[in-house]
Amino acid sequence: MIGKNPFRSESHVTRSAAHLRLADASSDEPAADAGQLLVRVGRGDEQAFAAVYDLLGASVYGLARRVVRDPARAEEIAQEVFIQVWQSAARFDPARGSAKGWVMTLAHRRAVDAVRHDQAATNRENSYDWSNGPDYDEVEETVSMTLEHEQVRRCLEGLTELQREAVNLAYYNGHTYAEVAEVLDANPATIKTRIRDGLVRLRDCIGVPA
Amino acid sequence: MTTDLHSLLAPYVLDALEPAERAQFEAHLVQCPDCRSELGGLQATATRLGESQSQEPPAALRQRLLAAIGSIPQERPLVTSINQRRGLRQRLPQLVAAAALVLAAAGGGGYLVERDHAQDRERQLADITSVLGAADAATTAQDFPNGGTVRLVTSKKRDAAVVVAHSLPALDGGKVYQVWLIRSSKAESQGTFSRSGEMVMKDLSSADELAVTVEPSGGSDQPTTAPVLNVPV
Repeated sequence: MIGKNPFRSESHVTRSAAHLRLADASSDEPAADAGQLLVRVGRGDEQAFAAVYDLLGASVYGLARRVVRDPARAEEIAQEVFIQVWQSAARFDPARGSAKGWVMTLAHRRAVDAVRHDQAATNRENSYDWSNGPDYDEVEETVSMTLEHEQVRRCLEGLTELQREAVNLAYYNGHTYAEVAEVLDANPATIKTRIRDGLVRLRDCIGVPA
Repeated sequence: MTTDLHSLLAPYVLDALEPAERAQFEAHLVQCPDCRSELGGLQATATRLGESQSQEPPAALRQRLLAAIGSIPQERPLVTSINQRRGLRQRLPQLVAAAALVLAAAGGGGYLVERDHAQDRERQLADITSVLGAADAATTAQDFPNGGTVRLVTSKKRDAAVVVAHSLPALDGGKVYQVWLIRSSKAESQGTFSRSGEMVMKDLSSADELAVTVEPSGGSDQPTTAPVLNVPV
């Protein structure tokens, strides 16, 4: 990927603080779940918007940061995501999925679009060297010690190496499966299958209802 | 073919498809109940992968967003929101009305993802959003003598501006309003609209002014009439 790896110098304290804040936000308003808040946001309720931000801001920013690496770019993406949440909240339908899922889907897509856009710009200037690729193993070493993260990490560790790398490269690094195939020197059809097997295994391990 | 498309479900959930494949898969999704029933669980799994990266954002982001949303129009604004947003409506009524239409038309993703073929529109929406949401977004308004308003939201940081024209006087004979950016005495067309419309203009810092002229149907290569409006940028 382009640029430096900002995770290298990151402290665990920062991440723990993020989770403390999340916990605070949800305990302050036990009755207001993200879905109800989003419905209020759709009616122009700015306080509800602030509450949604307090609930999901760290998740959105953290994901953007993981995908695009650069803190300033991640902040920009998080800003765009929450503006989109504000603009489109009226379109959110609680019957169709969780509010968190909706927001995180928007966030991931935006982060991935940004990384591909930046990459395309870089590629126009000089041909891309895949060996400069993301050191995702290193990133994984510095992740926080929250319970939730531990579970996800444990489940990722339960995948085969190819499944894990394929899922990591696609989700956290914003590669298409075709690019993943190139990075891992594998057949694209194989990668599609590995991503699928990996994701299904993760789902069952994390305990998300199918 | 169906089997083939079905195998795109997991990469789709991870946003790991090329745009063309994504469009193809989304079309498939509409008519594939099996895919849809599996989609939710896989999306929830992806959400957990995302959440696990949670990290405290800079405090300034929260302040900036809370300060910005008051002037950012929402899709399908509901009547009940008017009281809460009275201040906004007094400040930017036309912008709200016009831009809300744009945004409603453009859509913007959804959980089951309604990204259609309007990719250009979406890009334009993203540009509009980026300008309206910029920390330094500034609005100027120009009233037309015979009714209607042209508003200009400018962001130096984004080096861009959004023009929102609302209810300008109707033109006869299929004539249109055409928006120009003047750079070093040269006029560059930014697009046309009939009575209301909006457009994004980029590379603003090298431009001197914005002009609006009345042109024959379809617009002109260069202005053929004196501007009905000039705004320095």
